[in-house]
Amino acid sequence: MVFLTTLFNGLAYGFLLFIMAVGLSVTMGMMRFVNLAHVSLCMLGGYVMVTAMERFDIPFLATLPLAFLITGLFSIALERLVLRFFYGTDDLTQVLLSIGLVFMSISTIAYFFGPEYKPVSIPVWLTGQIDVSGLTLERYRIFLVFVGVILTLLILFGVERTRFGAMVRACVDNPRVASGSGLNMQVIFAMTFAVGGGLAGLGGALSASLLGLDPNFPFRYLVYMLIVVSVGGMGTIVGTLIAALAIGVADVCTKYYFPAAGGSIIYIFTVAVMLWRPQGLLGRKPGHA
Amino acid sequence: MKVKMLIKAAVIAISCGLLTPAPVLAQETIKVGMLISYSGISASSGIAADNVLKMFQKKYGSEPGGKKIEFIRRDTTGPNPEVARRMAQELIVREKVQVILGPDFTPNVLAIAPLVTEGKVPAIITGAATRGIVGEKSPYYLRTFFSIPQSVRPMAQWAAKNDIKKVVIVVADYGPGQDAEQTFTKTFTEAGGVITNVIKVPVRNSEFSGYMQKIKDSGAEAAFVFMPIGELSLGFLKAYADAGLKNTKLKLLSTGDVTDESTLDAAGDAALGVISVGHYSPTHTAATNQAFVKSYLAEFDKTPRLGIAQVIMWDALQVLYAGLEAQRGQKFDPDKFIASVKGKQFDSPRGPISLDKTTGDIIQNAYIRKVERIGGVLQNVEFDTIKDVPAQ
Repeated sequence: MVFLTTLFNGLAYGFLLFIMAVGLSVTMGMMRFVNLAHVSLCMLGGYVMVTAMERFDIPFLATLPLAFLITGLFSIALERLVLRFFYGTDDLTQVLLSIGLVFMSISTIAYFFGPEYKPVSIPVWLTGQIDVSGLTLERYRIFLVFVGVILTLLILFGVERTRFGAMVRACVDNPRVASGSGLNMQVIFAMTFAVGGGLAGLGGALSASLLGLDPNFPFRYLVYMLIVVSVGGMGTIVGTLIAALAIGVADVCTKYYFPAAGGSIIYIFTVAVMLWRPQGLLGRKPGHA
Repeated sequence: MKVKMLIKAAVIAISCGLLTPAPVLAQETIKVGMLISYSGISASSGIAADNVLKMFQKKYGSEPGGKKIEFIRRDTTGPNPEVARRMAQELIVREKVQVILGPDFTPNVLAIAPLVTEGKVPAIITGAATRGIVGEKSPYYLRTFFSIPQSVRPMAQWAAKNDIKKVVIVVADYGPGQDAEQTFTKTFTEAGGVITNVIKVPVRNSEFSGYMQKIKDSGAEAAFVFMPIGELSLGFLKAYADAGLKNTKLKLLSTGDVTDESTLDAAGDAALGVISVGHYSPTHTAATNQAFVKSYLAEFDKTPRLGIAQVIMWDALQVLYAGLEAQRGQKFDPDKFIASVKGKQFDSPRGPISLDKTTGDIIQNAYIRKVERIGGVLQNVEFDTIKDVPAQ
C-alpha cells in the first residue's frame, strides 16, 4: 500500500523532471550545445503561468499551452540572437555563456517580480487527495502523470512518425551527413530549440505548484536537470524518460525507506551510472561521427 | 639625470603633503557598516533593512548623540563565510566603520568573529539563530535576532501543558535544525512527553512525499517542525497540505520560521491553522507596534511583507542610537558602547526586549500564534505569551 503510493509519487515527480529536461537532452544531443540556461526557460514558463493567472485571470489549464508558446517563442529569439554564434565552440565557453545567462535571468526576474516566492493557486479540483483502488493519491500528482504520459506519447509520435521528427533524428545521429543530404540545419535547430524550450516552459509551469516558484528556481533544479540528461544519455527521448522516472522514484522511495541517507542516494546512483556507462543509459558511445 | 631626480623628489614631497591628515574636525562622523544579504536567497532582508533605515531616520533623525552618521552597505550574499569575511575586512580596515549592523547567518557570524574582536567593532547580529554565538564568540557581539532555544523551549512547554503526549519531530538537517531537535526533545521529555521519532530533511530538498508518509506512520498527536525561513518551509507546508495531513487529528506545531510572513502568502491555505511560536507578528496589539505597522505600511510596498526581519533591524538601530546617545560629546569608544547597551531595555514593536548583561544576547517574549485569515490576508495571531525568555 504505502509502497505503491510512494512509487506513484515518485513517478509523478519523475514525469515532471522529464518534461523539464527532455528539451535539454535533445539540444545537447543534437546541437552539441551545453545550454545550462534551459532551467531559466523552465522558470520563465512558471512566471508566465503565474502572471497569466494573476493579472489576466486566465484559467490554469489555459495557461499551460500559453507557457509552452511564449517560452517557445522566447527560445527561438534566444537561439537566433545569442546561442547560434556559439555552436561549435568548446564546452567551457558554452557552459560559461549559459551560466551567465542563468545569472541574468535570475536578476531580471527578481527585478520585475520581486525576490520572494510567488503564490501559485491551482484550481480546486486539482487539490487534495482522491481514493484510487484503495490508494490515497494526490490529485495534482495524478494530473502530472496524466499530462506526462500524453506528452511522452506525443513526443515519441512526433519524433518517430513525422517528417520533422525524422529530420531531427538525422541531425542528432549525424549532423554532417544530414546537412550534406540537404537538410536546412539552421531551421531545424531553431525549431527543435523552440519545442525543447517550450517543453521546458510547460514543465516549469507544471512544477510551480509542487515545487515553489521564485527567482532562484534555476539554481535549485539545474543539478537535477543535468543528472537526468547525463544518466539518460544526451539526444535520446526514451533515455531521458527512463532516467527521469528512475531518479524520481529513487528520490522519493529512498527518502521514505532510508531517510538517514539524506537524499544522497540519487547522487550515488548518478555516479555509479556515469562510471559504468559514461554516455548515459541510452546515449551513443562517444566517437560516433 | 639631476632633473629627473629633482622631479621625483618633488612628486614624493607633494604626495606626502597631500597625505598628511587634515586637522581633526570638531564633529566626528560615525560610520556604520550594514553587513547583510542584499542578493541571493535572503535578498528580501536587504530591502526590508533599507526600508526600516529610512523610516527610523525619519522618526529619530540622523545625528544620534550629536554626531553625523553614515551607513555603508556590504552584501554578504547569503550564508557565505568567505564573502562575509572579505566584506567585513573591507568595512573594518578600508572604510573604518565603528559599528556593524549584521551579519546574518551563523557561518558568517563565526567567520568574522575574530575580525570584530581584533578591530574592536561592536556588531549587532541580525540574522543568525544559533545559541552560544554572541558573547562566547566575541565580546563585541550583540544580537537583536532570536536564538533557537528561545523559540523552541516555549513551544515544547506549551505542547506539554496542552495535553500533547506524543510528538514526531521534523527538522532540517543542519546545525540549527539539530539544535532545535535537541532542545525540543530535552524540554518535552522532561515534562513527561514522548518523542515518537525524528525525521531529518536535507537542507536542499524539493520532494517531501516520503517524509510526509513517515509523519503519517508515526502515530503521534502532534508534529513539531523546524525549517529555515524560505523554500524549505514553503515546500514543507505545501507538501503537508497536499498529503492530506491537515485533515487528520495531527496538530502542526512549528517555529515562527515556518510561518514567516515572507512565505506565508505563497503557502496560502496550506498554512491555515498552523500553530507556531514566534517573536513578532504584525498583529501584535501593543500601541508601539500599531504605530510602527501603520507608518511602515503607509510608506512602503506590500512586498516584502512586514515581518520579524524589519523589526530586527529597527531594534538594531535602537541599540545603535542608544549606544551613541550615551557617548554624546565624547569620542566614540567601542568598549563603552558595549557596556552602555548591555543590560538595557528597549521598547520594540514586538514587545519589551533587553540585552543580556553578560553576553549581550537578546531576552524577549515568545508568543504562541495560530495562522488565521484576517481581512483576506494570512496572519500569525498571538494567543499566548511567555515573557522574557533568555536566549540560552
